[in-house]
Amino acid sequence: MDEGLTLIHPSQYNRKGDCLQDIILEMKDIEMTFPGVKALGRVDFTLRSGQIHALLGENGAGKSTLIKVLTGVHRMDAGTILFEGTPIRPTSPMDAQKQGISTVYQEVNLCPNLTVAENIFIGRQPMRKGQIDWKTINHRAHELMLRMGMDIDVTLPLAIYPIAIQQMASIARAVDINARILILDEPTSSLDENEVRNLFSVMRELKNQGMGVIFITHFLDQVYAVADQLTVLRNGRLIGEYPVREISKLELVTAMIGKDINEIYNLQKAQPQEDASIVLDAQNIGIPGKVEDISLQVKEGELVGFAGLLGSGRTETAEMLFGVTHAIRGSIAMHGEVLTLKAPLDAIRKKIAFCPEDRKRDGIVADLSVRENIALAVQATRGFLHPLPQKEQQELADKYIQLLSIMTPDADKKVGELSGGNQQKVILARWMATNPDLLILDEPTRGIDVGAKAEIQRLMLEMCKEDRSVIFISSEIDEIIRCSNRIIVMRDLAKAAEVDGSACTQADILSIIANEGTKEEVV
Amino acid sequence: MRKTMLSSAFIRSKLFWAIVAELLILLVGFILRPDFLSIQLRTLSDGTTVLFGTPVDIFNRASEITIIAMGMTLVIALGGTDISVGALVAVSGAIALKFLRWDVLVYTTPGDYTVKPYYLALLLPLMTCTLMGLFNGVLIGKLKLQPIIATLILMVGGRGIAQIVTNGKQFTTQYTPFKFIGNGSVLGIPVPILITLVVILAVVLFVRRTSFGMFVESVGINPNASRVSGLRSDTIIIIAYVLTGLLSGISGLIYSSRISSNDSNNAGLGYEMDAILAVVIGGTSMTGGKFSLLGTLVGSLIIRTITTLVLYFGVVSEAIMAFKALIIAVVIVLQSEPVRNAIAKQRSKRTALGGEARA
Amino acid sequence: MPEIKTMTITPGRRMRNLLTNPKYLMVYATIGIFLLIYLFGALLYGGKGFTSVRTFMLFFSDNAYIGISAVGMTMVLITGGIDLSVAAVASLTGMIVAYGTTVLNAHPLVCIGAALLVGVGLGALMGACIQYLNVPPFITTLTGMFFARGVCSLISRESISIKHSLIDAMAGFKIYLTWPNAQGEWVKIKPVASIDLNIIAFILMIVLGAIILQKTRFGRNVYAIGGNEQSATLMGLPVARTKVLVYAFNGLCSVLAGISYMLYVKSGWNLSLQGAELDVISACVIGGVMLSGGVGYMIGTLFGVLLKATIPAIITFNGSMNSWWAKIFTSLLLLLFIIIQRAVIASSQRVKKKE
Repeated sequence: MDEGLTLIHPSQYNRKGDCLQDIILEMKDIEMTFPGVKALGRVDFTLRSGQIHALLGENGAGKSTLIKVLTGVHRMDAGTILFEGTPIRPTSPMDAQKQGISTVYQEVNLCPNLTVAENIFIGRQPMRKGQIDWKTINHRAHELMLRMGMDIDVTLPLAIYPIAIQQMASIARAVDINARILILDEPTSSLDENEVRNLFSVMRELKNQGMGVIFITHFLDQVYAVADQLTVLRNGRLIGEYPVREISKLELVTAMIGKDINEIYNLQKAQPQEDASIVLDAQNIGIPGKVEDISLQVKEGELVGFAGLLGSGRTETAEMLFGVTHAIRGSIAMHGEVLTLKAPLDAIRKKIAFCPEDRKRDGIVADLSVRENIALAVQATRGFLHPLPQKEQQELADKYIQLLSIMTPDADKKVGELSGGNQQKVILARWMATNPDLLILDEPTRGIDVGAKAEIQRLMLEMCKEDRSVIFISSEIDEIIRCSNRIIVMRDLAKAAEVDGSACTQADILSIIANEGTKEEVV
Repeated sequence: MRKTMLSSAFIRSKLFWAIVAELLILLVGFILRPDFLSIQLRTLSDGTTVLFGTPVDIFNRASEITIIAMGMTLVIALGGTDISVGALVAVSGAIALKFLRWDVLVYTTPGDYTVKPYYLALLLPLMTCTLMGLFNGVLIGKLKLQPIIATLILMVGGRGIAQIVTNGKQFTTQYTPFKFIGNGSVLGIPVPILITLVVILAVVLFVRRTSFGMFVESVGINPNASRVSGLRSDTIIIIAYVLTGLLSGISGLIYSSRISSNDSNNAGLGYEMDAILAVVIGGTSMTGGKFSLLGTLVGSLIIRTITTLVLYFGVVSEAIMAFKALIIAVVIVLQSEPVRNAIAKQRSKRTALGGEARA
Repeated sequence: MPEIKTMTITPGRRMRNLLTNPKYLMVYATIGIFLLIYLFGALLYGGKGFTSVRTFMLFFSDNAYIGISAVGMTMVLITGGIDLSVAAVASLTGMIVAYGTTVLNAHPLVCIGAALLVGVGLGALMGACIQYLNVPPFITTLTGMFFARGVCSLISRESISIKHSLIDAMAGFKIYLTWPNAQGEWVKIKPVASIDLNIIAFILMIVLGAIILQKTRFGRNVYAIGGNEQSATLMGLPVARTKVLVYAFNGLCSVLAGISYMLYVKSGWNLSLQGAELDVISACVIGGVMLSGGVGYMIGTLFGVLLKATIPAIITFNGSMNSWWAKIFTSLLLLLFIIIQRAVIASSQRVKKKE
C-alpha cells in the first residue's frame, strides 16, 4: 500500500487548484550570537504550506545559522519558532525531523554504502516473519523514486549514482516520513541543467501536495525559475521578504550585496607606477567543467579586485594561480617566467601567497600557537632542516601582532582560542611574512568586525605602496570599488567584464553581475 | 623541550596526570617497602662499580620500549600507528647474531670472537630496520594506505624474515663488546640507560631544533591547512616511519645483547602495544596533533614501574598483565574527553574569575 | 498529474554495476584467489592428498576458531572499529573451563556460562567506553586484551588439561562421511573424513552472521554506522546501542571461538592463541572487509579464512620449506589484498567522476 504517497491535504485545494496558503512556519525575532560575532539579529522568516520559499544571502549573511537554529543544531539566544501555530524548540536534527522538518543537505547525509532503497527505509524497515522484508522495501522505494521521475534500480548502492539521484533519495525519505517542511540546502551546486529541471518539477509536485519548501541557493536564475517567495539576509540582518514576481534581479542583487551605509572610510587607493612591470600574467587558464578560460594580468603595485557572487568562479581562479588545483589549460607566468605549479609550495617559492576563504579548514592550525601559525609558510619554504631561530620567530610574531593589531595575550596562545577576526589576521600575517610579490586574498574581511575590516583594507594598500601586488576577492562591492585599481567581474564560472576601478559605481558592477535582461530563465 | 611543555595547556593536563600517576605508583612502592626507592653504588665481582636499585632497574628495563616509543610518538602524532616494531626488533637481533654467533663448526669452545667484523654486526641490522621503516613510510605516505594494515604486513612477515635469516636457529654469542651493550656500564650507569638517554636527546634535538616537530604537529592537526601553507606531508610521514624503523633496530640490538642470543619468536613480542600505550599515556592523542616526548618517557616508565612493583612484591608475574591493564584503564578513562571536560568544569566553577578555561 | 520525466537505467548497466561494484569485487577477488591457490596446491600435491575431502574438511576444522571469531570481527570492522581482545578472551574461555572442570569440579556448562558472562560483559564494557568516553577502539580493546590475558594468567600459570566426559564427547563428536562402495554398502570414504562439532559451529556462525547482517535492522544499522556515522545519527538510527551491542556480540564470538579451540587442544593455557587476533583481522581483510568500515560480507570472510588456511597447508605438503615461509607468504598475500582494495577504491572514484 502506498500510504506515504497520497496527497497530504486534499481539503486544502481551492477551486483554482492552488493550495491554500496557511502559515506553517513562523520564525520571529531570532537572535544568535557566537563569540565575537552576531550571527543573527532580529531575523524573521515565514513559510506557508504549498510554497517554495528561497532564502538568499552571501556567506556570513546568516542563512545557514538560521537553518541550524530551525533544525536544532544551535539553540537560539532569543526569538520564537512557531510550527503550525505551536511554539517549538528543536533540540537536535533528529528532533526536528520527528516534528516534521526534514533537511536535504548539500553533502546528502545518507549512507553511501547502502542501497538507494535501504537509505530511504533504514531505521523503519517493514518486517515479515521477524526478518527484513526486502521485497517490499525495494518495491516501495522504486515507486517513490518513480513518482519523482526516476526509474532506477533501487537495489544498487547509493554511491554509484550521481549526486542528483542521491538527492532525490534523500527527498524521497523525507516525503515518506511525512515531513511538512523540506529544507533544501544548496541542492543544485553539483547538478547539470537536466538534473536541475528534474529537481524543480519534484519541488513543484511537493509544493502542490501542501509541503513548505525552503530553498537555499546562490543561483539567482533558479530562484526566479521555481520560487514563489524569497527572503534576503545580509550580515545577520533581515533585509526583506518579497514575492519573487515583484522584485527585479537588479533590486535583488542590490539587496544582497549593496552598500552598507554605516561604514566610513578614508582610504587612498594604490598608485602603481606608470611604467610598472607586469608581475602576473595568466593566459587562458581553466579547468574544463570547473572554470572557463580566464586571462588576467596584474602589474606591480596594483590592487585588482574580483567581484561576483558566491560560486561565480573567483575562488576557483585563485586556487589555480596558487597551485591548489592544476590548470589544465593555459599558462601562468610570474615576472615573465612561466611556472609549473604542482603544489602550493611551488607557488610560495615563486613569491605568490594565498589566503584562503575557509579559514577553519584551510587556514588555522588550531592547536599550534600564534607564533607557529604565523611562521608556518615561511618555515615550509625553508624546509625543516633550516628552522627559523626562536628569536627571529618571536620577532616575526611580535611584528605582525602589532602591525595587524592581533588581540592575543601573547604569541604562545593557541590560535584556535582566538576570535574569528583575529584568526583571520594571524593567517594574513602568515602570508605577509613570506614577503610575496603577489598576495591573493579570498574574502579576508568576511565574518569580522568593521574596524578589523578597515585595518585589513589599509594593509592591502600598504603592501601595494611597497610595490607588491594584491588580488582581492570579496562579495562586498563597496569594498572592492574602494580599494581596487581594476576590477574583474566574474559570473557563472567565467570572466564577465574587466573595469577600471576609479571610473565605475556600485550600480555598474551590480548590473554586470545581475546581467539584467540578457540571460534566459532556466525553465 | 621547555617550550613543548609550556606552550600547550591541553597536553600539560594529560602529562600532568601521567607524572602524578607515576609518582603515586612509586609512592605506593615506597610505603610498602622503604628501600624501594633506594639507589646505591655496588662493586661487582669483576671489580666494576655499578649503580644499583629499583629505580635504576626500572629505567634500565624500560630502555627497549622507550627507544621505540620515541619514534612511535611522531608516528601517532601524524595520526598513524606502527605495529611492525616488535617484528623489526626480532629481525635486528637475528641479523646481529648471524654475524656474532659462536660457530661450533669453527671453534670448539665458546669464546670472545665474532664471525664477521663487529661494525657490520651493528650496522647491517640497523640498515635493514631502517629500510623496513622506509617500506612502511612509502606505503603510508605515498600510497596512502591505512597505517595499521600497512604495518601489519611487516608485523606478520618480519618474524618470518628473521627466522629465514638464521635458518630457524637460535645462536648464542660470547663476544664481549656486544654483550657490553646490554649488560655493561659506564661510570656506574648501565649502558642501556645511556643509549636511551642519547636516543632521547637526539630525537628531541631533531624534533625541536629543526622545524620537523612543528611540521609533524601541523600535519597531524590540520593536513589541509598544512598543504596550503606549503608542507609536504608525504616526506614528513616517510621520515617518521624511517626513524621508527631505525629505533626498533637499536632496541633489537639491546634486547639480543641482554640475552646474548637471538630469539625470533619472543624478541619484541608485544613491544608495539607497550610503545603505543606509552605514547598515549604520555599525553599524545591517537588522532594526531601535538605530541610530548617527555610524556612518552613518563608513560614508558609507568608501564615498567607497574611491572616492577608487581614483581617486587612477590605477586606472581602472571598477575602483571592484569594490574597493568587495570591501571592503564584508569589512566585512559581519566584522560578521556568527557572526563577531562567534567573535571575542567569543576575547576573553572571553583575559580571565581571568568575568562579562559584553565587546563 | 504534472509532467514527470523518466530516467531509465538499462539492465545492461545493472549487470555492469553488479560486476564492478567495489564491494562485490573484493569478494570475487578473494574467492578467485582462493580457487587459484587451491588449484595450485591440487596440481602440485594432489597426489599427496591435497585434494582429498579429508584435507578440505581439515581446512574448516583446524581454522574453526578463527572463523567463528571472524564472524564477530567482521561486524566490528564494518562499523569502522576494531577489537584486539578476541584472542585473549578466547584463551581466557579455555582457561575458565579448564580450571573450572579440573580444579573446581564444576560442570562444564556452568563454566561455559561463566565464560560467556565474562566475554560478553567485557565486550559490552569496551563498547560503552568506545561510544560514551570516545576512547579510540584500538586503545580500548588493547587494554581489554591485557586485562583478559592478565586474568587468565592469574587463574593459572600452567597449562591445565581438560578431562571431562562432556568435553571429550564434544571433541570426539564426528559424523563420518560415507559413500556407497561397489557392493552398495555405505562405507567411510578414504582417507577418512568427518564433520565434527567445530565445523558445524563454524558454518552455523557464518550463516547466523550473514542472517544478522542482511536480514535484521541491527545488521543494517551496523552497515549504516560504518558508511557514515554522522548521517546514521542524523537519520535517527540507534547508533550508541548498536555500537555497544556489536562489541558485546563480538565478545560472544570470542568465547565461542575459545570453546572451539579448547575442543581442539583439550586444555587451557594462558599463552595460547598469542597473536591470533591479528590472524582474525587479516582473514577479514583478505575476505574483503574494509578497515575503513561500511563494507564486508560473511561469505567473503568465510573464503578469507579458507584462503589463509591454504598457505600453511601447501607449505606442509611441500615438506621441504620452513614453516616460517607461511608467515612471509601470508604477509605478501595481505599486501596484495590491501593494494587491490586501494586500487578498487581509486578506480571507483574515477568512474563516478566521469558520470
